[in-house]
Amino acid sequence: MSIVVIAVGTESGVPIFTRRRGNNENIQFSTIASLHGINMFSKCHNLSMIDTHVDNGTILWKEYCKSITLIGIATGGLECDLELLLSCVHDVMIFYIGKKELETLKSIDQIKRELRQCYPILDYLLESLDPNAVSSPLPTLVLDLIQSVLCPQAQQLQQALDVYAESVTGRWACLCIHGQVIVTSSDFQELDPREARLLCLLTAAQDGAPLRDTPVYLPQMSPNLAFRAVTCKLLADVYVLVICGATPALSQIDEIVLQCWEGYAQIIKEAKLTHPRNFPMSIVFEPCILAVMVINVIKQRCVFSRHLHPSTQKSRGMSGAHRMDILRTFYVTSARDLAPEMRIKSEENDDGLADMTEAYWCSEYHKCHAQRLGNLLCCILYTSSMQIHTIRMITNKLLQDLTTSKEVHW
Amino acid sequence: MNTNFKTKANYDSPCDSDNEWTNSSNDSKYSDSESSVPEWDSDVGEDGELIYIKSKAPQEASNDNKAPLLENCETFKLRNNFKRSSTRRSTRGRIFKVLKAHKLKKSDNGKKSHLGIEGAALSINSNLIADDKVIVIQISKNMIFNSEKNCQIERLFGIRLETHSDGKTLLVSDFLTEAKTIYSPRIKEGYYLNKINGIDVNSYNINSVLQRIVEDHNHPKLTFKVPDEGYTLDIEKLLLAKDSPNNILMETLKESMCSIIYLCCNDIEYNSNDDKGVLYCYPRPYNQNFLYNTRGAYVTLNHLAPKSLGTSKPEIATVLYNNKLINVTYTTHFSDLLLVAFPNEHIDLFSTRKVVTDVVRLLEFLYGSLKSCFTKPNNVDKLDNLFSRIYVMLLYGSYKGKNECKRTCYLEDLLGAHSVTLPLEVRVQIDDAITELEAADYREWTDDVENFQRLYTVIGSCLYYSAHLLSSHLQDEDLKEVNAYLRLSGILRLSCDKDLEKLVIWKEVYIHEHRKQSKNDGHDYRIPDGRWFLLIVGKGHFILATLMEAGGCTEDAIGVTPPSPFYVEECESCLELLYEVNLNQYLASWFDSNTQPQVETSPEYLTKYGRKMRDINSLKSESTFKSSTLKLPKSQSDAKRRHNSSEHINVGSVDNMASTFGSHHSLYMQWYNGSQKYRHSSVDVSYSDDSNSLKSNSEISEERVQGRRADRERTRRDSSGSDVDWDRQDGSRASGSLDNNMSDIRKSLLSEINRVTVHRITAGEDNVLFHFMQFESEKGVLLAPVKDIETKANNVLYSYILKTFRSACKKIHELLQHSLRFKRNHAPCNPLNRILVAVKEYGMLFQVPSNVLSQCGVNKKNTEIFQFWVVGRIFSEPEPRELYVCYHESVPQELTEIAYSLSYLE
Repeated sequence: MSIVVIAVGTESGVPIFTRRRGNNENIQFSTIASLHGINMFSKCHNLSMIDTHVDNGTILWKEYCKSITLIGIATGGLECDLELLLSCVHDVMIFYIGKKELETLKSIDQIKRELRQCYPILDYLLESLDPNAVSSPLPTLVLDLIQSVLCPQAQQLQQALDVYAESVTGRWACLCIHGQVIVTSSDFQELDPREARLLCLLTAAQDGAPLRDTPVYLPQMSPNLAFRAVTCKLLADVYVLVICGATPALSQIDEIVLQCWEGYAQIIKEAKLTHPRNFPMSIVFEPCILAVMVINVIKQRCVFSRHLHPSTQKSRGMSGAHRMDILRTFYVTSARDLAPEMRIKSEENDDGLADMTEAYWCSEYHKCHAQRLGNLLCCILYTSSMQIHTIRMITNKLLQDLTTSKEVHW
Repeated sequence: MNTNFKTKANYDSPCDSDNEWTNSSNDSKYSDSESSVPEWDSDVGEDGELIYIKSKAPQEASNDNKAPLLENCETFKLRNNFKRSSTRRSTRGRIFKVLKAHKLKKSDNGKKSHLGIEGAALSINSNLIADDKVIVIQISKNMIFNSEKNCQIERLFGIRLETHSDGKTLLVSDFLTEAKTIYSPRIKEGYYLNKINGIDVNSYNINSVLQRIVEDHNHPKLTFKVPDEGYTLDIEKLLLAKDSPNNILMETLKESMCSIIYLCCNDIEYNSNDDKGVLYCYPRPYNQNFLYNTRGAYVTLNHLAPKSLGTSKPEIATVLYNNKLINVTYTTHFSDLLLVAFPNEHIDLFSTRKVVTDVVRLLEFLYGSLKSCFTKPNNVDKLDNLFSRIYVMLLYGSYKGKNECKRTCYLEDLLGAHSVTLPLEVRVQIDDAITELEAADYREWTDDVENFQRLYTVIGSCLYYSAHLLSSHLQDEDLKEVNAYLRLSGILRLSCDKDLEKLVIWKEVYIHEHRKQSKNDGHDYRIPDGRWFLLIVGKGHFILATLMEAGGCTEDAIGVTPPSPFYVEECESCLELLYEVNLNQYLASWFDSNTQPQVETSPEYLTKYGRKMRDINSLKSESTFKSSTLKLPKSQSDAKRRHNSSEHINVGSVDNMASTFGSHHSLYMQWYNGSQKYRHSSVDVSYSDDSNSLKSNSEISEERVQGRRADRERTRRDSSGSDVDWDRQDGSRASGSLDNNMSDIRKSLLSEINRVTVHRITAGEDNVLFHFMQFESEKGVLLAPVKDIETKANNVLYSYILKTFRSACKKIHELLQHSLRFKRNHAPCNPLNRILVAVKEYGMLFQVPSNVLSQCGVNKKNTEIFQFWVVGRIFSEPEPRELYVCYHESVPQELTEIAYSLSYLE
């Protein structure tokens, strides 16, 4: 697989950055110029290239803010929504430097320099698409979902989080373990899921910094006015993030953190134990289940798990990363149809699949099944010996468990 | 082979005097073929190609469904043999004439340019339907409607108008709610407003006319015209058109963003060409064609992608132009590039891919290669015609109601040749007829075998009925190409819509095998360097396409090669043979019968409410004598009844005939010969042309069967199967037994319909199967229920299920292709997604929305949900085969089992 994202100034044609992943060669300047030229030429004739399919891949042009053109090229059987990726890249750019700056594009060299800070997150995004890199603990297996952990301690932690947000005069806060959201403040829902996802990515990109504030623009809520995102490391791989105004100063926040969170260390540690399994222990999985992905459609959050059964079967022919990749591919190519409200392409509205409630794949080595119940969408990877009607019962039961369980807090 | 033997046998029997036979059949439809010049002769083009279509008048066509059952009687069948004998005899006598004529034609090609008259013939043949439906509505002057926009026309008439794309004609776009009752159901949106109070109105004069109306005291009278269905009705015209298509059509296509362009991209040609490398562009003028204007983008990308981006060549692009999504496909031919554009609203990305594969296939088939297609001199008009036909077919030529199917093509046709399951005997019968044609063993037609070299070798043929493939003896690739030609040029559609009286198409083609061979030479089993021709003959709803080879063991075809009347006649007689065994009627009722396998076209019966309804219905119907435990659709039970009755007639008449022959024959004979014409015209008025002539023939033959012959027939009937010595054995073949077989098969065909065994391929007590599709990609054959099953079902829920099934199938099909590609090519240049290649089965469960359910009366009070599966599976052994099944959720199904039971039906 290979994926390339190129950013070019629409008017000037100046290449702004190129990020790539996979086994492709570096794209030369002249090629970038030609690619951009194609788009400009067709624009002159009032024609816009929506997308172009090559054998086993896609080429996509997308213009943002009337100033930047993103060109995406994906090949090699990569199952991803390239358009979604480009809009994520665009979000990341706004997130760091703001919409106004992108629109005016005054000094290209300065913008180029400023955009360098996007690179870690951009690379995360690209890397997360790479099936060979799924093992790395990344919070973005699926581009349009926020990866979370369902832990029984969520309610207690949310209270602490609300208190903390209030004391730093912030509004939106979230607590992340390994870059996956455990709990969010009550107001967090106000954010667009895409903004929320960016914030999670930010915590994941902290590299162990104990306390840091980053000016961020929220692409939907305030694309032109920067907020202050304060990330603070509570324990190893546990970060708390809060969006707040200019005050209080970082040193004050340090103290507030201590006050607010000192008493919760034990609970956080307990919550952290949920991590590789990502589900409360009260949710029991059948032994035929190899991996699970549960999606809350409204909140656009998902929970992945491949450590379902305590330590018994280590390797059953399929690596854990591969399992995740299968489920991810299943979701992206098929199961996403079960949640039509999450589509970003509004133009191709009616493809006649809107009333789907279940979907499954039988492959030579496994079976995948997805079912939707209310706001929950559950994708499960089963061993290949299972029969579809049994599978349907098991999935249904799991969905019932998840909706009724008192330990599940989204 | 049957015909030949029979002919021989009958001919040799002493009681047949040749002259009488030919005379008596003079007024049958064979009369025209008696003359040495076939009726299509004047339509042969200068290049030797021929398109001749003669369809029956529509009202007669409709009669075909109530086809005269008398034909099933044994007597009538006997007569059929005689009829054949007469024709074949004439052919036989004529073959040398034909050959001579052919030779002559070859020698004086130059003289053949007097074809100006054909236009006149065409105008007669085409467009038999000319009456535009006109509806007049009178509006009370006292009525004044509330118009929000304070628009005069809304206030007076309560309708909203818009102008047609021609800028002049007025269309009804909407009704005000209060006015709806006045107009509906007679006037619908999209109808033309033609006249007000008898004055023609258009967008220019509407205001002044309205002014007059306001001043007038009388109640205004509105005249509406029902719009004709775009170009769908004119397939025939399109097929026949020789000069470039008219401007209106060109404009329409331009507006709907259909476009095709062929460019050469190498430097030499690019510079030498006036139009910067553009060899062909449609629709024209060039500068109004959006593909022409933006071709630079595609050419650049086509260069760039493989060279600098390391991807493969671009295949298809979606572009936005004039607020319309358009799919543009790339097809490269060495350094040349063919771009084809389709509007996304009609033909989506999936369909575009499939259609363009077929278009390219078709062009290569007709011209040998893309290059020669677009560089052939004086070919522009032909290409224009071809593409306008293709576009019209795809955009307006949907099988179902035009409103419904506006958005997408018919999925079954996109994938392959749509075929149906047939009972074994029928298949044998059909194959037999085709084989006979292919064998082309005409030793009987000429005594001079040594000096006679045949003109063509038949290398295969395929038979369609109502656009369904019945049998194919073509190579897989050839079938795909022939099917692409038949479908895209609308011939299949034509055969579906109209009852053809005669269709003859003759075209030079370049078969796949030959094209491929010339690329890699040095093969051991070379096919000869000859020429190939496609001969299409149609009658009724049958289309028979035959590929013929000239070269090798046959005479070489040199220069302009018009169709040979002999071969046309051979094909026609092959179809005749099928008519003789009443296959036309059999297939009509078979297509109606929905038995093999049966699909449930009333899905609501699977709900609790539906069951109750069914029980009530069946109780009712049982009380009124007819039991319908089989749950057969109505049409089928009709068919059954019909054939029951025919059987009665059959039996009865045989008895009568046998008993009366001895005494009255001589008297009758006189009488018949004299008054035959009279009877013919008065009694059989209601029948179609075709049956008419058959009948007239039959009456004669009935009388003629007497003496030795009658005895013979009787014995044959008594001791069927045994070889009776009266049969002159012709060569090594036993014509007698075959003849017996014929009547046996006829009988069995009819009786088969009587005892239709309903096959089910799903498990469970109820039939939960709604639809299925089995596609063999290598063969290009797709097995599915008949095309008009939806129309027949006439059920909202069923239509909804079908629509969902088709869109789901597209998605499943695309996913399963990964596995196919992987199996086909183990080391692909582009790495495939290793997860997707392993997927063998893909299923989706759908829930019918409550509004659809309530439309069919289910689910008024109870909140019962209705769910159904669409499942697709790929079987890679022995040949790749995809199976798509749509069934109700209540009974879990195993696709392997369904595939198994389906294979038994095949």
